[in-house]
Amino acid sequence: MSSRGTKQKKGNVTNEQEEEDQPLQAVLIADSFNRRFFPISKDQPRALLPLANVAMIDYTLEFLTSTGVQETFVFCCWMSNKIKDHLLNSKWCRPTSPNVVHIITSDLYRSLGDVLRDVDAKTLVRNDFILVYGDVVSNIDVSQALQEHRHRRKVDKNISVMTMVFKESSPGHKSRCEEDDVIVAMDSKSKRVLHYQKTQGLKKLQFPMNIFQHGSDEFEIRHDLLDCHISICSPQVAELFTDNFDYQTRNDFVRGILVNEEILGNQIHLYVTNEGYGARVSNLQMYDSVSSDLVRRWVYPLTPEANFTDQRGQGCAHSRHNVYRGAGVSLGHGSQMEENVLIGRDTSIGANCHISNSIIGNYCTIGDNVVLDRAYIWNNVHISNKVKIHQSVVCDGVLVKEAVLLNKQCVLAYNVVIGPNMSLPEGTVVSMHHPEEEEDDDDDEFLSDDQVVGNSKDKTKQKAFNPAEVGSEGKGYIWKASLDEAEDEELAQCIWGLVLNPDPDSDSESEASDGSQDMGSRSVSPEMDDVKGNVTPEMDDVKGNVTPEMDDVKVFQLEVLGTLQRGEEENIGCDNLVLEINSLKYAYNITLKEVMQILTKVVLEYPFQQQGTKLSSSQYTVLLLPLLKKWSPVFKNYIKRAQDHLDCLSAVEELFLEQETHQTAMVKVLMNMYQLEILEEDAILKWFSAGATTDKSRQLRKNQGLQKFIQWLKEAEDESSEEGE
Amino acid sequence: MPGADKETDLSERIEAFLADLKRGGSGTGPLRGSGEMARETTALLRRITAQARWSSAGDLMEIIRNEGRRMTAAQPSETTVGNMVRRVLKIIREEYARSRGSSEETDQQESLHKLLTSGGLSEENFRQHFASLKANVIEAINELLTELEGTTDNIAMQALEHIHSNEVIMTIGRSRTVEAFLKDAARKRKFHVIVAECAPFCQGHEMATSLSKAGIETTVIADAAIFAVMSRVNKVIIGTQTVLANGGLRAVNGTHTLALAAKHHSTPLIVCAPMFKLSPQFPNEEEIFHKFVSPHEVLPFTEGEILSKVNVHCPVFDYVPPELITLFISNIGGNAPSYIYRLMSELYHPEDHEL
Repeated sequence: MSSRGTKQKKGNVTNEQEEEDQPLQAVLIADSFNRRFFPISKDQPRALLPLANVAMIDYTLEFLTSTGVQETFVFCCWMSNKIKDHLLNSKWCRPTSPNVVHIITSDLYRSLGDVLRDVDAKTLVRNDFILVYGDVVSNIDVSQALQEHRHRRKVDKNISVMTMVFKESSPGHKSRCEEDDVIVAMDSKSKRVLHYQKTQGLKKLQFPMNIFQHGSDEFEIRHDLLDCHISICSPQVAELFTDNFDYQTRNDFVRGILVNEEILGNQIHLYVTNEGYGARVSNLQMYDSVSSDLVRRWVYPLTPEANFTDQRGQGCAHSRHNVYRGAGVSLGHGSQMEENVLIGRDTSIGANCHISNSIIGNYCTIGDNVVLDRAYIWNNVHISNKVKIHQSVVCDGVLVKEAVLLNKQCVLAYNVVIGPNMSLPEGTVVSMHHPEEEEDDDDDEFLSDDQVVGNSKDKTKQKAFNPAEVGSEGKGYIWKASLDEAEDEELAQCIWGLVLNPDPDSDSESEASDGSQDMGSRSVSPEMDDVKGNVTPEMDDVKGNVTPEMDDVKVFQLEVLGTLQRGEEENIGCDNLVLEINSLKYAYNITLKEVMQILTKVVLEYPFQQQGTKLSSSQYTVLLLPLLKKWSPVFKNYIKRAQDHLDCLSAVEELFLEQETHQTAMVKVLMNMYQLEILEEDAILKWFSAGATTDKSRQLRKNQGLQKFIQWLKEAEDESSEEGE
Repeated sequence: MPGADKETDLSERIEAFLADLKRGGSGTGPLRGSGEMARETTALLRRITAQARWSSAGDLMEIIRNEGRRMTAAQPSETTVGNMVRRVLKIIREEYARSRGSSEETDQQESLHKLLTSGGLSEENFRQHFASLKANVIEAINELLTELEGTTDNIAMQALEHIHSNEVIMTIGRSRTVEAFLKDAARKRKFHVIVAECAPFCQGHEMATSLSKAGIETTVIADAAIFAVMSRVNKVIIGTQTVLANGGLRAVNGTHTLALAAKHHSTPLIVCAPMFKLSPQFPNEEEIFHKFVSPHEVLPFTEGEILSKVNVHCPVFDYVPPELITLFISNIGGNAPSYIYRLMSELYHPEDHEL
């Protein structure tokens, strides 16, 4: 017997002892809350898409069951009926299943946060639980992680709230998802996470200094970790999500916990394994690599021939070079299945075909002289003679007519007809749904993206198919990838992930992670918009009418204002002001970034506050400048890193965008702040050159005074650099 | 209803066992030793006999055959399970025949004449109801369980007949039977054991640790050194996963190399295999014969980029043809590979070879 076997056994024994009083529970989220798989996910929820001919959710449930989970709550939102039907017909809902599956559906879930808030509201979990998405494929033995988690919680009383499971894999590994690349700083001994940052699109990484001063003598900064999206959570996690309504994703949660560590005293730990396999199918690129890993048996014992879902006729035979054949497969004369091929039941393949690294579903018909390489063909697909398919996904019921060539990364969604005699360029996405169908709904960005489109089905306008796009007998519409400038960069990075994502709004998650230096603040709820100063008209005069349900941020803003007023009246020293603001920060659970933005805003608005809004620009500057000078130490205390400078500048910009009449004063303010050494010239220049996103701010930048100021700064810089030489 | 309760309890147990089988052997072959597996299967079959609803031997055989089919399908590489199902089927046949009072059925000799005259009718005969059958079958299965308990000891007892003082013995990987065999011999004799490590899982390391703890002089070698070291070896003693119907082996990877090296140096190759590993299976059944596990041990997943450029395979079993084997030592004594067919017909009824 192997060492591994014994370990596993031992783990099980101890677990059982603990589990006797409390069954191990799991929360499975069968919704992605994004539209990476669009337009495929329009007809079928992502959790039910076939991965090596088995629905993704089955892999997740099998993983949970094999780790000893006895009760699973499946939360579904988009197309919940389909998921429910699937689960009710599967082995998971048989009375003999060791893992009791409860299905909970609601159309109101918009994010992971909503689900966990619901978990809390319904008090479903009583003990530590495992949190996974419905598209996680894994065979990792988490009993070890679970034990560590429980031990930590026993030793120091509920301080650790979450243990995230990561798998070691060096950068450049094809199963690492670019979007989920993280860099983690952790304490080597206690495995505590000190800093957690998504690295997508970042050229520079920054670590707050305080993580190095935590008193532990050893820590690691790791970039060789693959996020398995498996987390072991204590029941407090659900409560914390309830307390912080702005947490949408696990990413928010982790960052929030880390930022507020000293106040709330919660910690997050890491479990790094180098055995087993774990990955989340978060985009088509990942679909490609996870499928090929499955066929290459990395996820053993979850292999295609194992038929772990226990369905009749699903079984297949495994032979050399990882070729799997289901029952009733017929292969024509001269056809070759080279390697890593999986063919589902009752599929017939014609003569002289050449198939490698491909997965073909059940009941497909494939003609003669067909070449398939890295093709993922689902069920009931008809492929005619002389078709060539390279690295593409072909969904259920598609008809590919004669002599069609699919170049790399094409997607043919459900029931499309293509051809004959044509070639689809790289990255083409064809669907039976017209891409304009859901453009009408785009403005509602808070709905789950999948959700939105469901309603619009009846609106489908029958438009003629374009024969130039899909062939003379074709049916389907081409979905164009949106090529916004902002997205260009990301596109280059994870091609297959983003091409499919024609709606920039749905990208909020990755956008937020771009600016992940600003720890944990995202404009998610309208209440927070005013803090960041987004130009929402009804929010302009925030202080005048405070809404009855004042949130922490607003209260904090008022408090800061009060503090400053008192400071001026009673001539309190800047150090004491800083102290007061700091304590307010902790009292209202405000991030550092917000503190800075609010402080900037409050100070700049101070003259209006005192003298009314009717001030002229010159009066305003006269009043403001001494204040700035007086409080400059306060600013300096908060504005330290380069990012802080930029944030401060954007706060200034936003304020002056609102106070359009006083834009001339802005230059003076900036100049003053520069001279007081609150702001650095590099930061100002960077802000000026980079920051313009809206028309208004572009206009602001055309302000003559400002341009002169920038000019002056540039010259000053040149001079100083010349001097340096 | 207590009856319904019993049935759900039974089916729950069966499902749990099936799930266990499917997950079993993540990497290094069976999670449990095959001895344990055999006992568990038999105990489960006893439970089925006791709790399932059946009125005649025919019904019971049908139930057991059905469950047996599912169990073997769950983990085809675990042949012990199928073997135990066949043993139990044979027991039912015998008990039925005894209840009927005819002793012919027990000495079923397959003569051509008999095949022609009695073919097809045998199933019909099992329809008769006997009140005592259930108790008898359970009694017989209990006997089988007792036999299974003692197999390793029975094999180990023969050790002194085969291992002499100051011999050099080679083995590969880790087999519980061989371990017990060597330890038993070590109580009286002094000898040297060379263990081939059996990469990539290196079960040989564990074997060596265990042997050296028992005071046996042990050396671990790499698999590549098997041929080089063979000239010094007096005897090769190995375990196996399955003994096939033709007298060949399905044993851990590297055994074929070892057997060929032993043949080249005319070193005797002894296989310690309890009777429950005897399987009416031939090495040409490709689908169920081999087993590939996760390539992680060969090339770790952490390796990164190279993984997308190469294909990595990690097979678990080797086929060793019967002509390379000198002797089988089972719990009922030593046998030559050519005699396996005879043991097979004693253990299993020919109609049960295909479940």
